[in-house]
Amino acid sequence: MSAVLGNIKLAFRHLLKSPFVTGVAIASLALGIGANAAIFSLIDQMLLKRLPVPAPAELVNFKAPGPNPGSQSCSNIGDCREVFSYPMFLDLQREQTVFTDIALHVGFGANISAQGRTMSADGLMVSGSYFPVLGIAPSLGRLIGPDDAKVKGDGRVAVLAYEYWRGALGADPAVVGKNIIVNGQSLEIIGVAPRGFQGTTLGLQPKLWVPVTLREQMNPGWTGFEKRRSYWAYLFARLKPGVTLEQASASINTQYSAIIQNVEVPLQQGMSDKTMAEFKAKQLVLAPGALGQSSARGEVTTPLAMLFGITLLVLLIACANISNLLLARGAARSGEMAVRLALGGSRRQLVSQLLTESLLLGVLGGLAGLGVAILTLKGISAILPQQATSTFVPHLDMTVIGFTAALAILTAVLFGLFPALHATRPDLISSIREQGGQPSGGRAAARWRTALATAQIGLALALLASAGLFTRSLANISRLDLGVKVDSVITFGVSPELNGYAPGRSHLFFQRLEDDLAATPGVASVSAAMVGLIAGNNWGNDVGVEGFPKGPDVDDNSRFNMVGPGYFATVGIPVLAGREFTRYDAIGTPKVAVVNQAFAKKFKLGANPVGKRMDQGNDSLDIEIIGLVQDAKYSDVKDEIPPLFFTPYMQDSMVGALSYYVKTTGDPKAMLPVVSRVVSGLDENLPVEQLRTMPEQIRDNVFLDRFVTLFATTFALLATLLAAIGLYGVLAYTVAQRTREIGVRMALGAGPAQVRSMVLVQVGKMILVGGAIGLVAAVVIGRVAQSLLFQMEGSNPSVLAISALVLGLVALGAGLAPAIRASRLDPVRALRYE
Amino acid sequence: MTSTSQPLIRLEGIQKVFYTDEVETHALSEVHLEVQRGEYVAIAGPSGCGKTTLLSLLGLLDTPTGGEYWLDGKPVAQLSPAERARIRNLEIGFIFQAFNLIGDLTVYENVELPLTYRGMAPAERKQRVMSALEKVGMSHRVKHYPAQLSGGQQQRVAVARAVAGEPLILLADEPTGNLDSTNGEAVMHLLQELHRGGATICMVTHDSRYERHADRAIHLFDGRMVGDRALELVPA
Ligand SMILES: Nc1ncnc2c1ncn2[C@@H]1O[C@H](COP(=O)(O)OP(=O)(O)O)[C@@H](O)[C@H]1O
Ligand SMILES: [Mg+2]
Repeated sequence: MSAVLGNIKLAFRHLLKSPFVTGVAIASLALGIGANAAIFSLIDQMLLKRLPVPAPAELVNFKAPGPNPGSQSCSNIGDCREVFSYPMFLDLQREQTVFTDIALHVGFGANISAQGRTMSADGLMVSGSYFPVLGIAPSLGRLIGPDDAKVKGDGRVAVLAYEYWRGALGADPAVVGKNIIVNGQSLEIIGVAPRGFQGTTLGLQPKLWVPVTLREQMNPGWTGFEKRRSYWAYLFARLKPGVTLEQASASINTQYSAIIQNVEVPLQQGMSDKTMAEFKAKQLVLAPGALGQSSARGEVTTPLAMLFGITLLVLLIACANISNLLLARGAARSGEMAVRLALGGSRRQLVSQLLTESLLLGVLGGLAGLGVAILTLKGISAILPQQATSTFVPHLDMTVIGFTAALAILTAVLFGLFPALHATRPDLISSIREQGGQPSGGRAAARWRTALATAQIGLALALLASAGLFTRSLANISRLDLGVKVDSVITFGVSPELNGYAPGRSHLFFQRLEDDLAATPGVASVSAAMVGLIAGNNWGNDVGVEGFPKGPDVDDNSRFNMVGPGYFATVGIPVLAGREFTRYDAIGTPKVAVVNQAFAKKFKLGANPVGKRMDQGNDSLDIEIIGLVQDAKYSDVKDEIPPLFFTPYMQDSMVGALSYYVKTTGDPKAMLPVVSRVVSGLDENLPVEQLRTMPEQIRDNVFLDRFVTLFATTFALLATLLAAIGLYGVLAYTVAQRTREIGVRMALGAGPAQVRSMVLVQVGKMILVGGAIGLVAAVVIGRVAQSLLFQMEGSNPSVLAISALVLGLVALGAGLAPAIRASRLDPVRALRYE
Repeated sequence: MTSTSQPLIRLEGIQKVFYTDEVETHALSEVHLEVQRGEYVAIAGPSGCGKTTLLSLLGLLDTPTGGEYWLDGKPVAQLSPAERARIRNLEIGFIFQAFNLIGDLTVYENVELPLTYRGMAPAERKQRVMSALEKVGMSHRVKHYPAQLSGGQQQRVAVARAVAGEPLILLADEPTGNLDSTNGEAVMHLLQELHRGGATICMVTHDSRYERHADRAIHLFDGRMVGDRALELVPA
């Protein structure tokens, strides 16, 4: 024990002897370890963290790949293969024998009024089995149970999220039994969920849970409880003790197949034989549910793995620097080591003393790395899009701290082992005697140093190339013609229907809001849309179009939006033929639509579709197409522009929520508070949702690309800097070691240029070898990153060439100073140099 | 010994002062020296008297702080580092006490090095290297590395390296200092043979036994020349 303490004391003394070098070592370790810890924290939160419920491994998620004929509505809980109809849920729940129970959950937008304020938030609608399946206990009151959600319309109760209760309601225990207004419905608060439980979906943090039997009340105008062709419910279940996933899958599929065959097959109409065969063959797929159910998980896996790889490479580069540093220091101490060995110190003791020094460096680097990690996470959360900021809280928990500690120790061994072994090599004493007391670095050490610096060049090049790929990809994205002109447009949403407005009153409200906004100084024009522009939402509908033949398996689906008067002018979409909607296209006037070019092409409407007729799937051709607009992005920046038709929202009495577009005459940012005030002036209880400028919204739409690019670029530059420092260090050390040789060469007639080129040739060789390694690594990274790249190949030759050029120049730059120093050596002194 | 032509080396009022940490070391003061073609000059004196410094000045490794230096009739005190390197390469051959072979290069490559700096064609280089190594009796060791040779052998290779380029003048700084007497004698013999072949040699030694190999001995004391006398030729 005291030997260990002695080692630590000695290690401290040695590190403090050269505080600058030690400081640089700790700083580069801190950057490397900190970045890794930050990314690991994200990975842990998004990809590894199990649900805070008992025995999460028993949970399974349901999927049913295959045709879902009818309507589907999917969200960030899972993709459209994971949604079920409500009757199917009830059937499965009733007939299954392998689960403790099956639970249903689905998110909804909740306008919550409490203590005189209304906010818009996420809520979750759940079956009575939801909390029992999860097996969690309330922190206050009780949770929703089977008796609360029996029949539709039943169960006017709500359970609050712990964090919401603590934050917005001041942790008042008396709230249980009181009422809360959710989407205009008064519900009794029956309890508070356990602390830290925020549902089972990433990015969907419900403020409250309500029984799914209230869906018609929560989503005004929605009907779908009885429809087997309406798919919207996400299901998960808990395996009975002793039942395996395979057994459960076999068992539940017998019941599922029976329901499909006996109940659902007869309901299907107009299906081709092929689709029918697929429909009949549909199987339930059970997936492990310990992590919950989130579509985000699949989307972030590749980018996070990518970023983790990047930070690991940065750490490796930092380790290489420190390894070289310790090697140089070991050479300087070889006299001391030789004396210790000669005095009978065992090699083991010496190695453990040197490793203690590395571990100390590692621990200090790890501690500082925690600081870097928290700063990195704060930085990440600062550039996160508005919607995600509530989901992601930058913090370091025990898992991350444990990971950091393990990483620090591992890196310490990684960078410390070779130098320690080398500094205590058994032939040390004899080699020193041979050299007449002049310690030599040794060929092995020189090779190791050169190999490390070469590897650093390679890794840095790979990182530069990947940063180049992402930057290029982002440039491709930003060069895209979105088809809209929204530089000075503000957007926000209002949902009067969720505040209890009846449909007619909502429409009146929309009219007044448009009038008030239009009358506001600084506003050029105003319009609205039901589906937000480039906001990640997709609404689709099967359509009938004049002259377009229908049939089984004929794709007659089009994307769809309802917009207000002046919409196209406000968001800058050119009208190519006909006209856009006016206030006179309202209820009671003939139904009209505007289509985009992709729609006209898909449904073969020719050059001018104006005057043709269409319908929304009821075969009546009851809508007249009155305008053709130029193609513009619909849901996402990166998506192909889909066939799309627009109808006037004023012809649909059920519209109760809209996204607004306000074109300003000046700086749109300055108008944000003004817009907010105008809405409050009409109804101060109506929450203004997602208020921001359109450029911000578009940036948020490609957030992942921007994030990955920013991150990759930052770390590639860091890696390049570290590699340059490493290369400089190695060359400076080599030049110092070869001082005498350089003196000899000068005496033999080597001029300054020849001495310079001697060093630069060494750099050049390292660049060639490292560059080759780096290019291979870059191609591999490019292949992994392919799915993240937009409209380009992962092996883009110009990106590779530019990265190689940049790194070559940086490496030459790093080599230039030692080369010049070598050429300016005073030969007389150099020859006397020991 | 007299020479009708101009001296190969002419120093006039040479002075060398080292400034270190506010201490001035007058390593050489008022040195006047002429060396004729084909002369073999021994430079002797106690340790620290300025012998190595004088040799460095003669070899254009260093510049004097005062005085004039003509090499082969040309003033060389004010040349640029690159020009001085070129003269070192073409006109001067160095032999050091510590041999100073380059450990990463073979015997052959060590000898070839000064020729490479001249940009000489490989075929000519090879011929010169081999003939120089034959002169010193080391042509059977071309592929060896210095560490694989004895001290005496290393110094012979160093001599070969110094003469391979056929310089105007050989400068040797205590070439036997790191050798036992047998090997030391052998190296001295080698120098003498070169001298007989017409080489001009300036050799620093503090061993008076070796002075007798030279034609002329210069004595330095405290940076000043205190003696300059011709010596009898010793029979071979
Ligand atoms: N680079 C230098 N800087 C400072 N003093 C030096 C330097 N080189 C030599 N000297 C000093 O100059 C004097 C002569 O040195 P040197 O020519 O090496 O003597 P010798 O070769 O005769 O032993 C000594 O006092 C030495 O300390
Ligand atoms: Mg000397």
